[in-house]
Amino acid sequence: MLNFLKQVGDYAKESLQAAKYIGQGLSVTFDHMRRRPVTVQYPYEKLIPSERYRGRIHFEFDKCIACEVCVRVCPINLPVVDWEFNKDLKKKELKHYSIDFGVCIFCGNCVEYCPTNCLSMTEEYELATYDRHDLNYDSVALGRLPYKVTDDPMVTPLREFAYLPKGEIDPHGVDPKRGRAGQRPEEIVAGSQGNS
Amino acid sequence: MNSMNAGIDLQGSFIQSLVDLGLPADVAKALWMPLPMLLMIMVATVGVLIAVWLERKISAAAQQRIGPEYAGPLGVLQPVVDGIKLIFKEDIIPAKADGLLFTLGPVLVVIPVFLSYLVVPFGQSLLITNIGVGVFLWIALSSIQPIGLLMAGYASNNKYSLLGGLRAAAQSISYEIPLALAVLAVVMMSNSLSTVDIVEQQTGYGILGWNIWRQPAGFLIFWIAALAECERLPFDLPEAEEELVAGYQTEYSGMKFGLFYVGSYVNLILSALMVAILYLGGWESPVPLDQLALALGVSPSDPLVQIAIGTIGVTMTLFKTYVLVFIAILLRWTLPRVRIDQLLDLGWKFLLPVSLVNLLITAALKLTFPFAFGG
Repeated sequence: MLNFLKQVGDYAKESLQAAKYIGQGLSVTFDHMRRRPVTVQYPYEKLIPSERYRGRIHFEFDKCIACEVCVRVCPINLPVVDWEFNKDLKKKELKHYSIDFGVCIFCGNCVEYCPTNCLSMTEEYELATYDRHDLNYDSVALGRLPYKVTDDPMVTPLREFAYLPKGEIDPHGVDPKRGRAGQRPEEIVAGSQGNS
Repeated sequence: MNSMNAGIDLQGSFIQSLVDLGLPADVAKALWMPLPMLLMIMVATVGVLIAVWLERKISAAAQQRIGPEYAGPLGVLQPVVDGIKLIFKEDIIPAKADGLLFTLGPVLVVIPVFLSYLVVPFGQSLLITNIGVGVFLWIALSSIQPIGLLMAGYASNNKYSLLGGLRAAAQSISYEIPLALAVLAVVMMSNSLSTVDIVEQQTGYGILGWNIWRQPAGFLIFWIAALAECERLPFDLPEAEEELVAGYQTEYSGMKFGLFYVGSYVNLILSALMVAILYLGGWESPVPLDQLALALGVSPSDPLVQIAIGTIGVTMTLFKTYVLVFIAILLRWTLPRVRIDQLLDLGWKFLLPVSLVNLLITAALKLTFPFAFGG
């Protein structure tokens, strides 16, 4: 009998605990309802990609020395470097260069290791196509510069949270002239030079 | 709409005015009959649209999104747009499915839910029929639903549908019992199965007279069981998309899917209405309005005051209902889905014994304190 009562008591305790946890959960979801929506209404509003954004890779044909470092550091040897040795100049001559962005993982190793800085990251991320072969960019396509979000009259550019001025939490309607919270790298450099 | 004693007698005055115009009384009554039915179907449909909109807006808010925004102000027309889209969508019956049962399934799910609105009182005399077995009719009708669900699942000729249908049937049947027992405790206190009598038994003391104070356990059991009956989120295993694609709805499209969709929301509102009627005093305001009117020095039998009280009553019923719908939506984003064994455990091993004990305690209290527990 006592054992049975203990079981009933334990069961009741567990039920109360479950009810308590449900209440706590409800208070969390209820609290979320008064928070600001984080929605970016995409085709009409776009986030400004951060300066370290790893988007579509840009390639400058004339800078390339066809050393193939990009191919060697690439996890899957993706860039196709088509060159020919020019015997008169005793130099490698680049004929063609291409990267297939349907396969690229945007790790940025090629950009990191390129000795002549002919590869660089852009902020372009809208790469959707109807045919995956369209994603195989040749040197001409790689040389195009993306359209900046801030220059597009059809788009409201929104700053990411870390790029908002101090005290702001909503990117809508923030004056673009107001800088981000904290110091920019060049300000830090200027400050340290002034001190010494 | 039946009127027992006080309040506005719409039916009586409508028939009387037609008889005065020279129509026979029978014809006048026949002319009256479709009006409340049409009105109730409209109320149910508009209620669904509001519930769908609320669901989408509140879900969005709970997840820090905006939700529907472009269709009408604040996206209020979004459910209408969804409905129109479903009407114009191609209605596919899978080649290997049983056409008749496949069509009959959603119909059997929707009709009992709409029929249950027969006994839902929005005000003292604002219901289609005040039959003596009101709540019992609702429980009886709601047990037709699992047949429709099972039919839909079986006829789809799809293993996900079949599993979903079986789960739905198992769930509905196991939660029917605690639901009925919780209702039984309320019925015992009000000595009547009629929804109007149940509300009237709670009147007179404002918020203090509501059944929730006398039946706190019953209220919780009823609410949990009602959520399970509606297949709302902590108990939405029959449609668990991660496991069963969409359960018994998998093969449905177009208006047949629309019927399931409408049925589920009408059922949610109906359950919320029932909780409001059985436990939260139906059309009663937190402050007894008759006494408030007397205290303010106006007669409660004055026609204008009657209209005001009636309007407040309907508003109160709908307000309580939508507060409960809001809680159901919030619960949806709070609680994870239970497993099928946990679901059946909760139904048979927890709710059933607790509701039985609740019934026994109510009976004992009724014998001991007949003045407070409806002797």
